[in-house]
Amino acid sequence: MDVIGVVASVVYQFCTNAAFLLLCALGLIIILGMMNIINLAHGELMMMGAYAASASYSRGAPFWLAAIIAFVAVGIFGAVLEATIVRRFYGRELGALVVTWGVSLVLSQGFLLLFGPFMPPIQIPEGNIALGQYSFSYYWISMFLIAALLVAALWWIYNRTDIGLQARATMQNPAMARALGVDTRRIYMMTFTLGAALAGLSGALLAPTTSIMPFMGQQFVAPAFITVVVGGATNVIAGAVGSSLLLSLVKTPVGFFLGAFLGTVALLLAALIIIRLLPDGISAAIQRRLDLRHRMR
Amino acid sequence: MANPFSLLNGPEDLGRGPVFWGGAAIVVALFLAVPLYLSDFAAYNVSYYLLNIPMALGLCLLWGYCGVLSFGQVAYFGIAGYAYGVIAGNFVGHSWGPMLGSLGGLVMAAIVAAVFGYFVFFARVQIWILPILTLVLTLLLETFLGQTAGYQWRVGVVQLGGYNGMTGIPAFQIGDFVFSGYSFFYLALGLALVCYLACRMLVNSRHGKVMLAIREDALRTEMLGYDIRVRQWLVFVLAALLAALSGLLYVQWGNYITPSQVGLLSAALPVIWVAVGGREKLLAVVIGTYALNWLNYQLSSSGNQYALVIIGALLVIVMVFFPRGLVVSLADLAGRRSAPSEASTARVRG
Repeated sequence: MDVIGVVASVVYQFCTNAAFLLLCALGLIIILGMMNIINLAHGELMMMGAYAASASYSRGAPFWLAAIIAFVAVGIFGAVLEATIVRRFYGRELGALVVTWGVSLVLSQGFLLLFGPFMPPIQIPEGNIALGQYSFSYYWISMFLIAALLVAALWWIYNRTDIGLQARATMQNPAMARALGVDTRRIYMMTFTLGAALAGLSGALLAPTTSIMPFMGQQFVAPAFITVVVGGATNVIAGAVGSSLLLSLVKTPVGFFLGAFLGTVALLLAALIIIRLLPDGISAAIQRRLDLRHRMR
Repeated sequence: MANPFSLLNGPEDLGRGPVFWGGAAIVVALFLAVPLYLSDFAAYNVSYYLLNIPMALGLCLLWGYCGVLSFGQVAYFGIAGYAYGVIAGNFVGHSWGPMLGSLGGLVMAAIVAAVFGYFVFFARVQIWILPILTLVLTLLLETFLGQTAGYQWRVGVVQLGGYNGMTGIPAFQIGDFVFSGYSFFYLALGLALVCYLACRMLVNSRHGKVMLAIREDALRTEMLGYDIRVRQWLVFVLAALLAALSGLLYVQWGNYITPSQVGLLSAALPVIWVAVGGREKLLAVVIGTYALNWLNYQLSSSGNQYALVIIGALLVIVMVFFPRGLVVSLADLAGRRSAPSEASTARVRG
């Protein structure tokens, strides 16, 4: 009985860590994969999502509705950001990094001045499953399911819709896609909007686990960046899933035995070693495998 | 070996010829004469603006001349500051303690940069990975230092101090001469000048030309027989050493350091100085660093909460409208008046 409990507990830890990394990184990696741009304001977009969720939750909206409001609100903000600033930096990766950092400074400090240092907290939705002496919260189990659902939805959009086809064409060869009549500017704008909206959603979903403050985005930034670096930009979905599972494999045991901080340090060390072996991230390795199998057929 | 004066007067920085050097000499003379017209306290503030210049110069070499962006220069700043505090603090009373501490700080920063840089540069990672990983490094350093509160986190007799930071760090001294007030001002001024002139000689040397070639076209440079991994790695370590020098000066200036010195907001500052001044020219970075530190001090000392918003907005505006930096754009404008053909060949790069 206890063996089952220990196994379930390890699996549960592994799944929650993977879900956390995936939720942190998903919006970032979508934008990176499409435009080769790292959005350094990602943490602040998550913060905005948490703010939107907190504001609607404290006015009586249920948690799921608050999360959807965050998704939409931050998505709209992302579209504005793309149209006014980010659009000028396509093809200039370092310039885009620096300018989005400027945006993140303005956002975090601006939110502090506008809304003060704290927002009303969101209660973790209650409920536990008990198994032996271990108990597992419904909240984290549903986070894992939501992360899986988001990945499935993205896979469907990229592989089964016309927009997704155009997006993949733009990713592979923007000049050729434009020549064939794809409106790449629109694809870029939609991608950035989707990435921002996903960041807002993740911020709202993770908001119950932390205090909602203007600088809360910082705590998500390090895990999100490491996940993206390990995942690489070749194949967005394979990169995000593969990297968050792999990193969870590193983080779960280290964090379990040595504490959360050393778990994050282990993530950085793992990232350094992985990029030394696979400079383009594991998504490039997965994509090579897939291409090879495709050709064999 | 090229003539050092022709290296100083080379083409890879703003300003050449007798008029420029005459003007520069006047500015330096004005700084040297600071005790004549500034109080002890004002000179103390000016020292702070000056001590940030080496770190900015290192980032300028890395980003503007080598095309490699680092967001984590403050990590080396912090490592050197903490190492100095630990070593010098354990040898209080010995006149060689601060000297040993400075050496230890530089060595520690260089070792961390060398190991970190080995993994990144020899993996030939994509261009956006280095800024992110350096940022992660500095954030982790902040988290680590933040949880070192309490008596069990001590090295010898020095406590690391958690979020309250390390206090009572000894001032710098050579022999029995302790640098403080005006003498520290001269120390900071002298080191900033030496670093600037040395960087200027570096970018005009053969190695500097190779750096520029890597920035312009890494693949072609490699095909010409240069090992770009080693070159970038060396510049990375040099930039870390310059950041470490700033860190040493900082703790010797204020006698304390806190984890927020390696936090996200502090990490943004060097990037802002370099971007706003103009990353492709060393002199522009020196001017930008000095001016922005002055501005930041004026904004925050008057209790202005909008300091960070203003500095962040300044970065966004400069990146959007003056991608080469304010000082460089102004210099171009002045240069175009006098010599239209030279300035028109300047290109905007991302």
